Amino acid sequence: MTNLIEMSHISKAFGGSKALHSVSLDLKTGSVHALMGENGAGKSTLMKILAGVHQPDSGEIFMNGEKLDLKSPRDALDAGISTVFQEHSLLPNLSIAENMFLGREPTTRFGSIDYRVMSSQTAKALGELGLTLDPSQLVSNLTIAERQFVEIAHCIQADASVLILDEPTAALNAADVDVLNRNIRRLRDKGKAVVYISHRMEEIFELCDTVTVLKDGALVGTRMVSEITTDELIAMMVGRELQDLFPDRTGDRGDEILRVENLGITETSQPLSLTLHKGEIVALAGLEGQGQQRFLRSLIGRYHPFAGTISVNGKALKMPLSTSAGVRHLQQLKVGFVPEDRKEEGLFLALPIAHNIAIGLHSRRPELAPARPYRNVIARMMEVMNIKAAGPSAPVGSLSGGNQQKVLLGRYLAADLDLLLVEEPTRGVDIGAKSEIYHLLRDFTRKGGAVLVLSRETIELIGLCDRIYVVHHDTIVAEMPAAQATEHKILDAALMGGSTRQH
Amino acid sequence: MHRSLFNILSGRNTRQGLWGLPLLVALLISLWLTVETTQFATAENLFNLVAQAMPLIIAAIGQLVVVLIGGLDLSVGSVISFTTAVLALDQPAIVLIPAVFVLAAFIGLINGLAITRFNVHPIIATLSTQYIVLGVTRILRPVSGGTVPEIVIAAVSGSFLGIPYPVFWGIVVILAAWKLLYGSRYGLHLFAIGGGIASGAESAARNFGVADRRNIILAYVVCSCFAAVAGVFLAGRIVSGDPNVGLLFELDTVTAVALGGTQLSGGIGSLHGTVIGALVMALLANGMNLANVSPFVQTAIKGGILLAVVGLQSRKKMGL
Repeated sequence: MTNLIEMSHISKAFGGSKALHSVSLDLKTGSVHALMGENGAGKSTLMKILAGVHQPDSGEIFMNGEKLDLKSPRDALDAGISTVFQEHSLLPNLSIAENMFLGREPTTRFGSIDYRVMSSQTAKALGELGLTLDPSQLVSNLTIAERQFVEIAHCIQADASVLILDEPTAALNAADVDVLNRNIRRLRDKGKAVVYISHRMEEIFELCDTVTVLKDGALVGTRMVSEITTDELIAMMVGRELQDLFPDRTGDRGDEILRVENLGITETSQPLSLTLHKGEIVALAGLEGQGQQRFLRSLIGRYHPFAGTISVNGKALKMPLSTSAGVRHLQQLKVGFVPEDRKEEGLFLALPIAHNIAIGLHSRRPELAPARPYRNVIARMMEVMNIKAAGPSAPVGSLSGGNQQKVLLGRYLAADLDLLLVEEPTRGVDIGAKSEIYHLLRDFTRKGGAVLVLSRETIELIGLCDRIYVVHHDTIVAEMPAAQATEHKILDAALMGGSTRQH
Repeated sequence: MHRSLFNILSGRNTRQGLWGLPLLVALLISLWLTVETTQFATAENLFNLVAQAMPLIIAAIGQLVVVLIGGLDLSVGSVISFTTAVLALDQPAIVLIPAVFVLAAFIGLINGLAITRFNVHPIIATLSTQYIVLGVTRILRPVSGGTVPEIVIAAVSGSFLGIPYPVFWGIVVILAAWKLLYGSRYGLHLFAIGGGIASGAESAARNFGVADRRNIILAYVVCSCFAAVAGVFLAGRIVSGDPNVGLLFELDTVTAVALGGTQLSGGIGSLHGTVIGALVMALLANGMNLANVSPFVQTAIKGGILLAVVGLQSRKKMGL
């Protein structure tokens, strides 16, 4: 294997803060190279430099020994470096074929775009990935997984020799991840150099040959994946052995705070019941898309359950809850809802941290009451949560994923609530911030709060929670103490529950 | 691509916006006028209607180009007035005609640079040039007067086979715009840039290697040049320079673009929709004049139809 790309002593600063400090990275042909590190470690910046989006302050990039000067994304694409960015990189109002050829459209003799060539080439590239999508379909009609594959097809079509995949699986379900990984291996076997950024350990060990770890903009090291263990890798990333990823399950179980009885999520699903006590963290586990989220969102009125009752602190809610005012109504009852997608549903990215937290504090006050600055509360919250930012006036959008998630959670923790309904508490968050978030949630229950949580990561639910409800086919099929739960048991329960229902 | 009637009427699965609905409105108005009045459905009236609508159609196409990239150009009306004032200067046509286009392009360039280089909001940037250009126009020609070159008057006042010249010129302009929007890489890049902006990813098109800043500047230049064409038309019609002739064109063009199903957030819209939108406005004016509706009521009705047609479109951002 030879070095296709050599990035040598790359440094880059944005304003005052140094994002990268003399980082070097070699990419070999026919390999999948994992790039790891906590959020804000500089992975994305390094890759955006290779993609021509940013220009380095110092350092050089060589391709096959020749110096590359990447002034724009176009230069990088021309050099054969294609990137699948984390989000929003396809244009939704363009067709698949148009996206595929955007910026380098073939033209006819008359200067028109040659749609025939585009269409057939696109179909060919999609076919290589085993997809049979109509090239003239608009991207806005595609699912997230299909868009991800179209982006990869774009790289194939561009005949790139270097592919950068920035968290390609963050939004994919298990089946799509499999398809994706199969295609990445195929590209590797064809001699491409693939850079793979992900927070999911198992993917790194399953897919990658080499791993480079960055921390705080500096290179920690590059190792062969076959010569490293998970613990060593985590230690490299956080700079210390991570003993206490999950907090102890200590705390007193108090009064019942939430009671759900005979709730039918859909007309045909079995009714489900559950209870939640103060001092408890309770999980909704199960295979993906089995109704965990529908159930949680039934509690806030986003879905209208078919039948059943919900009571908070012994008071029955008036059903059906209003779709638009359900969250507000629950907030009056000291119940907070922390949505899954912090960027779309949770945070006001352009607003400062202070406002994002204060909105939670204001939510239980009258609409026209004068706004209070809550400076002390916000400062204390930022300190308790260890939010790394220039100050409370920094826009949330400028923070790393982990810090954004902490701000979102801080909004509800500061608001003096009794019950939190949390979706995906640590999605797209690095391991250090994950641990901090787990401890924050546990501290909340130790003070008498209660948490109902759902997550795609079963390990997280087992480590964090007291009890686990397994959800399948829009109903609860099993309940178990988390201390005795394993991934295997939960999967079994889910599948058994599913199969008994089918008989 | 499956283009069922439903898809066209609802504007779904295409990036052309909801242009079927305004077409329906146009047909309904025509039907009503055909039944109600005897003067409407005559070839002469229809050609006159189209000829009269031509300046608006042309200026609206220019507006469409900037709306597609998520922008707006409020200097259109001033550019039109300015063009007539320049044409009424006492100079030979060979100098004046190229001059109006160079000047218009320069105004568009200022708009584009203010927006892309200095990050001024499109409304503020083009509002500023609207005032500046209006001021210069009033210096050149405080009140209507002067005479425009003979060739300009001749080009818009004759007819061939009973069809007024403006209709032919209009067709030429529309074909040129068609080529620009649908038959060139530039056209696709306009949609790409607008689609990125509308879906909250301003750099998306740039990441594909599209030169977004340059294309945005060019869009404002194109818009100004279309306004200049509309100005030449009007100058030929009124024979003199008039500092007020372009008044409210900036808003009427936006109305036509919006009526035609184009989304002001960018990335979704169509040339045919815009032409239909401008025709709906001309039909309304023509029809209501024939039906003796008071001009004050006409204005109110125009607003009501705009609200109704745009209100029926889903302003859903694509892809989100």
